[in-house]
Amino acid sequence: MQILDWLFKVPTGPAPGTAAVTAKDRMRNMLTHDRLELPAGKLEVLEEELTAVVARYFDLEPDTTRFDLKQIDRKAALIANFQLVRSKC
Amino acid sequence: MCLVDMDIGLRNLDILMGLENRVVYNLVDVVEERCKLRQALVKDKRMPNLSLLPAAQTRDKTAVNADQMKKLCEELKSMFDFVLVDSPAGIESGFQNAIAGAEEAIVITTPEMSAVRDADRIIGLLEAQKDQITQYRLVLNRLRPKMVANSDMMGVEDVLEILSVKLLGVVPEDEEIIISTNKGEPVSGTDNTRSGLAFRNIARRLRGEEVPFMDLDVKNDTWVTRIVNFFNPVRV
Repeated sequence: MQILDWLFKVPTGPAPGTAAVTAKDRMRNMLTHDRLELPAGKLEVLEEELTAVVARYFDLEPDTTRFDLKQIDRKAALIANFQLVRSKC
Repeated sequence: MCLVDMDIGLRNLDILMGLENRVVYNLVDVVEERCKLRQALVKDKRMPNLSLLPAAQTRDKTAVNADQMKKLCEELKSMFDFVLVDSPAGIESGFQNAIAGAEEAIVITTPEMSAVRDADRIIGLLEAQKDQITQYRLVLNRLRPKMVANSDMMGVEDVLEILSVKLLGVVPEDEEIIISTNKGEPVSGTDNTRSGLAFRNIARRLRGEEVPFMDLDVKNDTWVTRIVNFFNPVRV
């Protein structure tokens, strides 16, 4: 069977959890912090504060708020996603 | 073409080129006007158009400053078509001196996390000098195609995506480099090594030629390519 596997190799992307994928994820996160000169843990504080502000105006769907620090070229973008239930105003 | 070894105190390029016995004067002697620039240049054994300006071995990075390097690079530019400055490791004065006279930069890294992080820092510093250094490109060194195929190591695409940088070349890990270094013959001059071909491709791209990147993907290692490789060991 090994010979057959070798003959009919199907190209696949790297599986999650492999060393390469872990390295890439760690690199992305680390370089975003490096480039912004952002100390570890500060982002979490900001996320908490942002959530608290939005929660003053809206009821939020529990456990759905998400923050992503994305890389666009060599710049960073903070993308926040709040699922709003209803206005509190 | 001229190579300038800027790693003052840790001279190495003369060994890699097999020219260690021909070094009389060095870069610091030129800057401190103990000799003429032409006297310090060491001609390569094989290529008559290639010269080396060796670093000093007994001094340190503080022996030259950015203005002196700018002046030296201007003089070299008037003598050669290409001047390649080999920067020392680090981001301190040695690096700042090395880029003082540069118009373009080649960032060399391996696909390992600590090296990629350092490369990112260097790219950040080069970006800050955009007016002077008009372009920079990446050489990915010591890639192990089998490890990339097994997802044990970041591949070319991963590193390019993380660093957002243009690619100049990929050099596969190759034991031949140690062998050729030991002989004092740069691997770029050897005919049947993959790393040698990779270096020659990089040189052609620097001259402005469009050279396709070597296929280092192990997934393309099938019985068909093996037969082709048998007849053409380097090209595929």
